[in-house]
Amino acid sequence: MKSQVTGRSLDVLLVDDSPGDMRLIVEALKDGRTQVRLHIARDGLDAIAFLRRRGKHVDAPRPNLVLLDLHMPRMDGLQVLAEIKEDMELKHIPVVILSGSEDAESIVKTYNLHANCYVTKPVDLAQFTAVVRFIGDFWLTAATLPMEER
Amino acid sequence: MKTKGTITAPELVATRTRPSKELFRTLFYSSPIGTYIVQNGRFLLVNHQLARISGYNDDELIGKSSLNLVLAEDRNAVRDNAVRMLKGERSHGYEFRMVTKRASLKWVMETVAPVFYRRKRATLGHLIDITERKQVEEMLKQTTLEMQRSNAELEQFAYVISHDLQEPLRMVSSYTQLLAQRYGDKLDADADEFIAYAVDGAERMQALLHDLLEYSRVGTRGKPFSWVNCKDAVDKAVANLQIAIQESGASMTYDVLPTVMGDEGQLVRLFQNLIGNAVKFQRDDPPRVRISAQRRYNKVAFSVQDNGIGIEPAHSQSIFEIFRRLHTREEYPGTGMGLAICKKIVERHGGHISVQSKPGEGSTFRFTLAVAGDEAT
Repeated sequence: MKSQVTGRSLDVLLVDDSPGDMRLIVEALKDGRTQVRLHIARDGLDAIAFLRRRGKHVDAPRPNLVLLDLHMPRMDGLQVLAEIKEDMELKHIPVVILSGSEDAESIVKTYNLHANCYVTKPVDLAQFTAVVRFIGDFWLTAATLPMEER
Repeated sequence: MKTKGTITAPELVATRTRPSKELFRTLFYSSPIGTYIVQNGRFLLVNHQLARISGYNDDELIGKSSLNLVLAEDRNAVRDNAVRMLKGERSHGYEFRMVTKRASLKWVMETVAPVFYRRKRATLGHLIDITERKQVEEMLKQTTLEMQRSNAELEQFAYVISHDLQEPLRMVSSYTQLLAQRYGDKLDADADEFIAYAVDGAERMQALLHDLLEYSRVGTRGKPFSWVNCKDAVDKAVANLQIAIQESGASMTYDVLPTVMGDEGQLVRLFQNLIGNAVKFQRDDPPRVRISAQRRYNKVAFSVQDNGIGIEPAHSQSIFEIFRRLHTREEYPGTGMGLAICKKIVERHGGHISVQSKPGEGSTFRFTLAVAGDEAT
């Protein structure tokens, strides 16, 4: 993977089946403070393949942050989260759940599976943009993460 | 009266000491309760009502095994009861299915007592036909099951609908806003207006879905009941409404409020919606809200009274329906779900909600909550 930006650039894996949401997140991160290389997985299976560097993802970088949607076909967000947090190689990667739902049960479930935080996608565009930028800035700039060897 | 009394009294004395044949006939044969004496498992004496219920005549019954009248599946229950009776336990009414002469089944309820008849042990039995009651009970049970199932289905349906519709709606509103943000200056005034309506529509739909979801959650996500101090619930509701109460200059008074069995989160929501309405639908004077509670047997009747604009009595039922609004959104904002949610919460707590009001004279919402314990104050 070639870095397109100089300086500190971080890899974020976005797992979401909705192209609309994906585009909104891309737009929000584009103008943020943190330079981000965004990788996209359209469902849970694809996300796991990326993280384990399988198939077409042999050269995939280890992401610094995973943004994970819950409702997806084939393998849903909870299953992806469980796999990540059970894997010694992956469990240190912060996983932020970005969900359209405020369902109390899902929220408890994700934290019990060691999600790093749960965020409900705001309806208002300005708030949505602000929240996504804030997530990027916090996890990629403010927080100190373990060093990763590529 | 007096003369009658003097005649009756000696007769009573006489019947007490020496029961007449006539009295026996009256009590036994004319009794509306099927009555019999069984000795060695066979009918020795039967009355007309037993004959009527069973379809056999007296002669056919005498000498017949009493268990013959009992449906095979129910015989053990009848025998168990006989054993209990012989042990000296008091007989409670028990039910079994009787096989009549025409081979049809009748539900009967029976009580038995051990007696001596012609110096031998015998059983005195009384039974009544409860077939009709049983049929009604069975129908009621079926209907209740059916209703529970369809209610659960409906709640699940509303939940799924409101939950799953949020996602595409967010797309509509987000991209309309993005369109306005990015191309707003390249479009004309008409386009701005159209975009504003689209965004407004999406936001309203969002609010409707949000409240519909809350409505369906009253049934599907309710917590088990525990003791709730209603004063705490009202305090929390008032805290949630702090801004609206301050802005309107509303004054609140409340009685000593009891402790009830309930779901605290829902009771807070109930008070919050009612107090919120009282503050919202105000006239020119600052709102005055008064909450009181009165215990009536094992229920507590609450009232939330305001001095607001009031409601036409014609609407006093329909305002509790979902999405019911009496004003335009420009006059008073809202989704029209507040009172529907209140009604659902009160009903989940086994109570009833109603309103008494006239336009211009304020409104009083009353609701009951069941099961206030004796020990609670």
